[in-house]
Amino acid sequence: MESLLELKDVSIDFQSKRKSFNIIKNINLKIDRKMKYGIVGESGSGKSLTSLAVMNLLSDNLSIGQGEIILRTDEEKVLNHLSKKEMRNVRGEDIAMIFQEPMTALDPLYTIEYQIIEVLRYHRKMSKKEMREKAIAMLTSVGISRPEKIMNDYPHQLSGGMRQRVMIAMALVTEPKLLIADEPTTALDVTIQAQILDLMNDLTDEHGTSILMITHDLGVILETCDRVAVMYAGQVVEESTVKNVFDNPQHPYTQGLLKSIKTLGDRSEKLYSIPGNVPTPDEYQELGCRFATRCPFAFEKCFNEEPPAFQVGSDQTSKCWLHDEEANPNE
Amino acid sequence: MSNQPVVLEVKNLKKHFPIKGGVFKTTQGYVKAVDGISFSIKENETFSIVGESGCGKSTAGRTILRLLEPTEGEVWFNGENLYDIKKREFRKKRKDFQLIFQDPYSSLNPRMTVQELVVEPLLTHNLCTKKEATEKAKEMVERVGLSEKHLTRFPHEFSGGQRQRISIARALIVHPKLVILDEAVSALDVSVQSQILNLLIDLQEEFELTYIFISHDLNVVKHLSDRVGVMYLGQMMELAKTEDLYNEPLHPYTQALLSAIPNLSTSEKKERIILQGDVPDPSNPPSGCPFRLRCPSAHDRCVSENPVFQEVKDDHWVACHLYDEKNS
Repeated sequence: MESLLELKDVSIDFQSKRKSFNIIKNINLKIDRKMKYGIVGESGSGKSLTSLAVMNLLSDNLSIGQGEIILRTDEEKVLNHLSKKEMRNVRGEDIAMIFQEPMTALDPLYTIEYQIIEVLRYHRKMSKKEMREKAIAMLTSVGISRPEKIMNDYPHQLSGGMRQRVMIAMALVTEPKLLIADEPTTALDVTIQAQILDLMNDLTDEHGTSILMITHDLGVILETCDRVAVMYAGQVVEESTVKNVFDNPQHPYTQGLLKSIKTLGDRSEKLYSIPGNVPTPDEYQELGCRFATRCPFAFEKCFNEEPPAFQVGSDQTSKCWLHDEEANPNE
Repeated sequence: MSNQPVVLEVKNLKKHFPIKGGVFKTTQGYVKAVDGISFSIKENETFSIVGESGCGKSTAGRTILRLLEPTEGEVWFNGENLYDIKKREFRKKRKDFQLIFQDPYSSLNPRMTVQELVVEPLLTHNLCTKKEATEKAKEMVERVGLSEKHLTRFPHEFSGGQRQRISIARALIVHPKLVILDEAVSALDVSVQSQILNLLIDLQEEFELTYIFISHDLNVVKHLSDRVGVMYLGQMMELAKTEDLYNEPLHPYTQALLSAIPNLSTSEKKERIILQGDVPDPSNPPSGCPFRLRCPSAHDRCVSENPVFQEVKDDHWVACHLYDEKNS
């Protein structure tokens, strides 16, 4: 079966009057129907930019330099070649998005009713009454107990968890094929986070929606996703099923990240940490691997030549020279 | 750790914020941010306060240091009630207490160089001459993992982790006895967070510090602390040694909180207690037990009576009616 969303060699560049540099480099992803796909990375790794690129929401100084973002619903569309008007029909209809901070994503001047119905008014031919009924049904399904009352409320009257539920209701009201969730639970408390993740899982299973989950929290990935791409400094360094990545990480960055989380909580052991800081885009190396300066296994080739994504095992890729038998000095 | 002397004792601490409103700005009610918490901290110990947003953990930290004046209660530090000291006198004491904030982007003055930032507390407290202070700053900056060349730079030139190192240097240069870390690593990325946690643990040993660590991140708290207090809606719900609390949580809230942490193992699927609803509005808390509206095992008594915070096992305190019968 062909995948629902495919990113082929996508690169994103930044331009200003004075300088320009590459931020995201050659990203390849495939998200199947009904799949829950995670992108995990630290701040500045480019995970949010990737999702914004899919929605065609990049700011003016950012542009997709090369590559194609292909969405296959009933027909095949190359999203980054669509006109603004065509893209408007994709957003909300085929792909919906939930953001981290529900207070800034909801419009404070309009009632919840208006904001949910707005989506339907644009995408569906329905009578006012039908739209209202649909909105109430949707609010009920996201676990809001008195939807009629909430419909007349403004966003500031709701708590963080409630706002995120409303966001989910808005996103799923048109039954999109793909739901992009950009750090949907980062601003919430753990007990509320558990509620929201549970709800997202149930609802997307019910409607057969695919999820693209963007997060920095490996725990959230493990809870919700089937496959995961680990991003570092604008590149996907490792990609596989969640189980493979957690139990058998191949890339030194993923290994370090998991090690630093897994030693957490054990006081007898010194906490493992990756030395150095996450580089900013202007510090990215022209040549070689972008992780080389922090990598404990780096050798000469890592600084001179960029590693390709090596196939490891049957279903795992890792962008590291260690997998190349000729290059690896340890083998 | 258990035979260390107690350095800080908090007794029935309360901080109520008045809600003003109406034509004459009269007090219409109170937000009971901290409502009668008690605990004691031993020397060189790390005591953590955990809780969800709005539970009053930060207010508790600030009130202990008198950055906020308490409504009621006592805080004894080395045999002295901090709230009995006059404000002016208390300023001299402040060097013993330092606070490190969550956001290293807003807690450092952007117009001051690292040198000026780190030297400032020494000069404010008149601890040494300018020249000595410069020397000390150099040492301290190196101790926290920055180098001498960073001294002339401004905060915006640093990453989040490095800024937090500057905050740590600034706090520790006066050799405080008690450091309150208010969500000190919450804004940092995982790989950087572990560097800072290691640094904090090393410095605690070296400078013989006592930490109060305020956080919502239960994994970090587990790693760092000797004892943990769980707060909910301004009250302490449970307090125990870290191992006891994580292995055998007694309060239903703690149980739910711990089960909500996303687990990091692919083999076992964790049984999860999903709490219904949100944290109630602190200006209008429920009667009886503050947790009863979301508690899976709430009963009639929880509505009418607020449970007493009592020692159920050795050094394991809990405020819940479920554990009343066992005692009587």
